[in-house]
Amino acid sequence: MTDQSYKATMFATNKIGFGSPDGLVWHKGKLYFADEGGLALESWTRNEGLKRLMDAGFGCESPEDLVIDAEDNIFFTDDDAGGLWEYTNDGQPRLVAGKDKGLISTEGIALAPDGSLLVGDGEMHKVFRVTRDGQVSEFLGIDYGITKPESMVYDDRGNLYIADNEDNVLYMLDGGRKLHRIIDRQDSFSPETIYFAKGALYITDSRNGKLYVYTPGEELKTIAAFGGQLKNVQGVTVDDSGNIFVSVQADLKHKVGDVIEISKEQNVVAQK
Amino acid sequence: MIGTVLISLMAGSLSGWFTQLNDQVLLGINSIAGRSWLLDSIVAFFIDNDLAKAGVIGGCFLAAWYGGKTIESTNARRKILITTLVAAVFVITTTKVLSKTIFLPRPEIRTQKIYRLEGDELVEMKRMPVRTMLDEESQKDHRALLSGDIDPNDLGSFPSDHAGFFIAISLGIFLASRRIGLLALGWSIFVILGGKLISGQHTPLDIAAGATVAIAELALIQYVVRRSFRGWLDKLTGLTLRYSALSSAIIFLVAFEVSSTMIHIRAFLGFLAVMRRHVLLGMGS
Repeated sequence: MTDQSYKATMFATNKIGFGSPDGLVWHKGKLYFADEGGLALESWTRNEGLKRLMDAGFGCESPEDLVIDAEDNIFFTDDDAGGLWEYTNDGQPRLVAGKDKGLISTEGIALAPDGSLLVGDGEMHKVFRVTRDGQVSEFLGIDYGITKPESMVYDDRGNLYIADNEDNVLYMLDGGRKLHRIIDRQDSFSPETIYFAKGALYITDSRNGKLYVYTPGEELKTIAAFGGQLKNVQGVTVDDSGNIFVSVQADLKHKVGDVIEISKEQNVVAQK
Repeated sequence: MIGTVLISLMAGSLSGWFTQLNDQVLLGINSIAGRSWLLDSIVAFFIDNDLAKAGVIGGCFLAAWYGGKTIESTNARRKILITTLVAAVFVITTTKVLSKTIFLPRPEIRTQKIYRLEGDELVEMKRMPVRTMLDEESQKDHRALLSGDIDPNDLGSFPSDHAGFFIAISLGIFLASRRIGLLALGWSIFVILGGKLISGQHTPLDIAAGATVAIAELALIQYVVRRSFRGWLDKLTGLTLRYSALSSAIIFLVAFEVSSTMIHIRAFLGFLAVMRRHVLLGMGS
């Protein structure tokens, strides 16, 4: 633990039933998983346990990242099947827009202020805007130079952060659509997933096995470094109490994954 | 039943006592670090500089190789030294495999809050209040540690591969020539391994385990080679005398590698493994 004010606990392992989650999000007391290893979209609560919402039977192959809107509709990307997928608040799974609309290998996803969804594509090297009725348009073209928009998130000022884990750069697109290279340290930084909460950007780095926090105007700080079978940190989310949760793909091929909770030392963590 | 309980209680208490002793000895030796820039820089120099660290051992090896007064004694020495080299390869393989299997970070890493995975739980490890040396390299490494940059090699300190390798070579030299061997052993223990303790890179237990592997494997391989490969060894030793120029060139390369803990050979083997994967198995991109 690089930041000594934090402590780490194993929040969940395969024993709760997931495979090897990538994206994860806390939403209204529920933890949602884009379970890349388990080929499914899942939710978890203490009382209900793990619930499979949507799986390969519907066509998704490798859920990558997810967002949830205020009406509890869940949207997720899939880097193998491509497309943008939705699990509606009334329990209906649907493909919002597929490969036929140019979404070949979808990675990062962000909910835009106008209600549309921004989807990054690793093979097209573009960010697309997708409306709820499935219309796809180019949001950031190749000319922006983003090779793999692996993860995206808006901050509370309307800036869009984009993590490119192929060029190893964290970008920020401001309100005037100007793209800034915020962090560019080829040798020691490769952003995998980014999550904005309470004025700070939480970043996982699967190549270097790290969890960072970035606050605009300040230096990038390492919260924790991971090694051995826990090195491959993927998704990151923060709950309402400020506790950080990271998913670790210990062995994606054999569907082995964990979720680690990183919380402030003084916090009383409820018994799991 | 009562006997089993008593034995496990005794084993537990003995292990606790042993761990405490190990920590206390380390902290005692390490207590001289971080007080004088000059002293720390000297210690660090002998840890980091291959020529200063292991050049002496390489020199001792060459001296033992050429130091026989008669053909017979030269032959006998060379047999021991050739077998020692074979043993050293086994020793370094064993210590590397063990250290990659057993998760035990270096004491200098354990100054930080570290968790290890035990079953399904993350368990916080006991912290080691080792002092950091004041030389530039150690301070740089410490700053890297504080930002979470840890060399994977630093996560497996048990057993010490330096202890295994240098004790095996020095002991082999000692078997070939007592005087030169004593110098090699003294240098290995007091300069190379002493520096590892002062800097907090290893605990006495890491070093004792590495040395045990070295002694056991050297004894075993000396025995096996003499028993089952005596003919080959005689032939090889004879060749070193017959083709003395070529054997001198080879032994220079060997001494050079001994002086650098075989790092170039390991890099070469790594290169071969990559080539095999890319060319033969077609896994390259």
